[in-house]
Amino acid sequence: FNIVLHPAPELPIVERRNWLIHQHYIRKDYDTCKAIIKELLQETNGMCEYAIYVQALILRLEGKIQQSLELFQSCAILNPSSADNLKQVARSLFLLGKHKAAIEFYHEAARLNEKDWEISHNLGVCYFFIKDFKNAEEHLNIALQISRHDKTFMMLGKIHLLVGETDKAIEVYRRAVEYSPENTELLTTLGLLFLQLGKYQKAFEHLGNALTFDPNNYKAILAAGSMMQTHGDFDVAMNKYRVAACAVPESPPLWNNIGMCFFGKKKYVAAISCLKRAHYLSPFDWKVLYNLGLVHLTMQQFASAFHFLSAAINLNPRMGELFMLLAVALTNLEDVENATRAYEQAVTLDE
Amino acid sequence: MSESSDDRKWLDAHFDPVAGLYTFSSCLDLAELSGDGESQLVVGDLGSGSSGMKLKVYRGTALVSESSLLDLPAGLVAFFMDLHEPRIPAVAVASGPCVYVYKNLRPYFKFTLPGLEVNTLEQDVWQQAREGQIDPLTLKEMLEGIRKKADVPLSFCSLQFLSLDASDMDEFVQLHKQQPIRRQTVITCIGTLKKSTADEDGVSCLVIGTESSDIFVLDPEAFIILAKMSLPATPTMMDVTGQFDVEFRIMVACRDGNIYILRRESDKPKYCIELTSHPVGLVRVGKSVVVGCTDESLQGFTQKGKKLWRIVLPAPITTMASMDLPSRGFQAVLVGLANCEVQLYRDKNLLSTIKTPDVVSSICFGRYGREDGTLIMTTKGGGLMVKILKRTAAFEDRDSAPGPPLAQSIRLNVPKKTKLYVDQTLRERENGLAMHRAFQMDLSRLRLAAAKTYVKALESSLTPVSSSLSEPLKMNAVVQGLGPSFKLTLNIQNTATCRPVMNLAISFLYDESLYQMRSPYMRIPLLVPGLIYPVETFVECTSDKGISDIIKVFVLHEGRNCPLLTAHINMPVSEGLKLH
Repeated sequence: FNIVLHPAPELPIVERRNWLIHQHYIRKDYDTCKAIIKELLQETNGMCEYAIYVQALILRLEGKIQQSLELFQSCAILNPSSADNLKQVARSLFLLGKHKAAIEFYHEAARLNEKDWEISHNLGVCYFFIKDFKNAEEHLNIALQISRHDKTFMMLGKIHLLVGETDKAIEVYRRAVEYSPENTELLTTLGLLFLQLGKYQKAFEHLGNALTFDPNNYKAILAAGSMMQTHGDFDVAMNKYRVAACAVPESPPLWNNIGMCFFGKKKYVAAISCLKRAHYLSPFDWKVLYNLGLVHLTMQQFASAFHFLSAAINLNPRMGELFMLLAVALTNLEDVENATRAYEQAVTLDE
Repeated sequence: MSESSDDRKWLDAHFDPVAGLYTFSSCLDLAELSGDGESQLVVGDLGSGSSGMKLKVYRGTALVSESSLLDLPAGLVAFFMDLHEPRIPAVAVASGPCVYVYKNLRPYFKFTLPGLEVNTLEQDVWQQAREGQIDPLTLKEMLEGIRKKADVPLSFCSLQFLSLDASDMDEFVQLHKQQPIRRQTVITCIGTLKKSTADEDGVSCLVIGTESSDIFVLDPEAFIILAKMSLPATPTMMDVTGQFDVEFRIMVACRDGNIYILRRESDKPKYCIELTSHPVGLVRVGKSVVVGCTDESLQGFTQKGKKLWRIVLPAPITTMASMDLPSRGFQAVLVGLANCEVQLYRDKNLLSTIKTPDVVSSICFGRYGREDGTLIMTTKGGGLMVKILKRTAAFEDRDSAPGPPLAQSIRLNVPKKTKLYVDQTLRERENGLAMHRAFQMDLSRLRLAAAKTYVKALESSLTPVSSSLSEPLKMNAVVQGLGPSFKLTLNIQNTATCRPVMNLAISFLYDESLYQMRSPYMRIPLLVPGLIYPVETFVECTSDKGISDIIKVFVLHEGRNCPLLTAHINMPVSEGLKLH
C-alpha cells in the first residue's frame, strides 16, 4: 500500500465506475468486467465494495464458490449494514452444501431487512435440504405472503408432495397457476398431479394449456399423449409424439408409448420394433417388458412372450396382470400345471 | 456491407466497421444541433475505458465534431434548455458527480451533485485530530466505533485511513487533516422530463439517478434541484414520461433487480416490479413497459407493475431501444441479441429480425438527417451502422398461434423390419412349443451343473476365498515378468473383523518338468485383520517349448489335512529361453 506524497491529493470517488461494471456484468461481458474490476481495485486499494461484489458473483458463475464466499465475506466486513452481502454469503454457503451455516446467515440478514421474500424463500430451501419440512413450509409461506413468485410456489408444492399432502400440493399449484397462467412447468406439474389422482378432465385441461404455450414441452406431450391413447385417439397421439421425438429422441417411455400406438392401430411389427428400442434404452423397465409380452402373445410367439413376462415378473412380482399373461403364455405352451399355478397367483394378487 | 434477413424493409445506408466507438444506448441521442432541420447523432464515446473519452457528433456518414470529455460518460441526453430563438437543443453529459452541458458543442455549464451528508461524529473526531488532541491510534479506534454503529457511512478518507498499517497512519493524518470531510456520489443514469408542455421542443428538466440511490430533477434554466426522490437501491436505467408541472411517471430499473415506479406526488416509489433476474433494458410502449432480463427473457408489465406476458429469447440481450414512428402510429421494441441479431417485437410477437455482422452494443432509432425512420447501431467491435426504414415496409403480426410445430411433420424413425426377423417369427410360431421345452430343460440342467460345481468347490476348498468360519481368508495372485523368470505375488487378506489368523503355510503344486520354484513351501506370519500381505516367490520356466501350465497354490493350516483355500494360476507363456 503506497500513499502518493503530493500535498493534499484529491481522493478519487470509490464508486465512480460501479455503473460501468454493472453494465458489462448484465451483458455477460465477464472478461471486460474483470479487467475493469482489477483496475478499480488497484486504484482504490480494495475499498470498492461493489467491484468486489461483482467479482465474487462472476467467480460464482465460474464455479469457484469458495473464493466467491471469501470475497462476499470481505464485502460484508466493508459494509456491515447491508443485508445483501449477508444474503450472498449465505447463498455461497448453501452452494457449498453447508446448509446449517447458510440458515444462520440468512437469519442474520433477516434481522437487518425483515420483509424480504428472497430471504424467506431461501430459508425455506435450506430447511428443505436439511429435511426440516415443517420449518421449510413455514418460511415458504411467509415468502409467498410478502411477494408471490413462481419458484416459491414450485418449492412449496414439492415439499407438500414429499410429505404426502397431495391436497395441499394441488392447492398450492392451483394458486400458482392463477397468479402466473403461462408458466408451462406449473401447468404440467398440476396436470400430472390430477392425472395421478384420476381427475382426467382437469388434467387434460391443464396439460392442453401447457402445450398451447409451449408445444415442445416433452413432459406435457407425453402425459397428454398417453391420455389420448387411453381414449383411442392413436393418430393424434402419434402426431404429438413426433414433436417429442425431435426434442428427446432417446426416451424409453416415449418409444414405449409410440409402440403401443402402433399396437392400437394393429401394426404389430412396428410396435415390436419400437418396444424393443424402448427395452434397449431401459432394460429394467417392467412396463416395457409387459407390453413386449403382450404384443408377442398377440403375434402368437409364446416362447418369446414367456421370457419377457418372466423378466417383468422378476422386476415387479406383486402384479396380478403379469401372472395372468404368463399363464396365457404357458397355456399355449401346453404347460398346464405351471399355467394353473400362475393363474392362482394372479388371483391372489388381484385381491 | 451487412446482410439483412429482412432486406425488403431496411436500406443499408452506412456501415463503418472501424469507427472505434465504445458506447451504450444510454450515451446515444439524436438531435438537430444546428437548427437547419437536419438531425445529428451525438455519441458519448468511452474511448478505451480509461482514456480517450470523447463527445462525438455525426452528420450523415461523417464525423463532424469531436471534443474530449473529462471522465467516462454515464449517460447523454439532448434537451431544450430555454425558449431562446433559434430553438437549438443543448447536450448534457453525465460523468462522475457532474453534468456537463454543451451548447453549440461548446462547454456551457457544469453542474455538480450536492455532497452527501457527512457523519457529524466523524467530523468531530477529525476536528480533534486536526487540533492534535488525539493521536492516530485513538483516531482509528474511534472511527471504527463510529463505523459499526452509525447509519451515515464514513467518508472515503476515513475508510482509507482505517485500512492503513500503523506505520503509515501518521503520514496520512498529516497529509489529509486539513481537508474538510466530504462524501461525494456519482451519477449512474440521466434522462429528460418536459417541464410544463408536451411539445416536441418544449423546455425539459434533467432527471439524474445517483449511486447513492437518489433521483434528482433539475431545473434547466438555473440548474437548481426541483425535486429529490429516493429509492431502495442504485438506479441503472430509467424511462421518464409526463410533465413535471402536471403529472409525471419515472420508471427506474435498479441494481437489486427490481423496477420502481415514481409518481409526482411522493418521493418514494409507488409501485415496484420484482424481477427474478437483472433487467438489461427497459422500454415503455404506450401504457405498458417491456423489460429485457439477463435470463434471456422479455417480459411485459402494466404501468402499475402487473405481469402481462413473458417470452424466451434465443440469446442473451445486449441492449434495447424503442422504435417509434408517430407518423404511422407504429410502436415496437428493438432488442439487440448476443447472437448478432436485432429483433423487433410488438408485445410478445416477433415482427422481424435483422442480422448484423457483429454483436450490437447500442441502438438508437429516430430522425437522422432528414429521414424519420433511421436505425443507428454500434457494434462491440466499434463499428457504426445506419439503416433506413423503407417507406414501403410494413410489419404484420404473424399469427400468434403459430400452428403445429415443424417437428410434427418429421416422420418417426421406427426401425425397419428385416427378412431375418420375419423368418424367425415364423419359425417361432411353428416350433414354439419345442423351443420352450428345450430351453427350460437346458436351463434346469445349467442350474444343476452350476450348483454341483459350487458345492464341490466349497467342499474341497477349491475357491480362493476360504469359507471356514475361524479363518476367513481371501487371496489373489499376480504374475509379473515376461519369462523365463517370473515373480509370483500372492496377496493374502484376513477378512475377519478382529481376530488374527496364525500357523499358516503356502504350498505350490506344479509340473516339475516345466517350472522350477525357488521356494515351493513357505510359512506365513500372523495375519492381522484387514491388511493385505504380499507373499512373493520366483518361478523359472525350464522348458523351451513355449507352453504354459497351471500352478496350484494351497493355503494350509498346521494340523489340518484339508487346505483352507486353493487358487489356480494360469501362467503366461515364457517369452525368453533360459540360458544354461
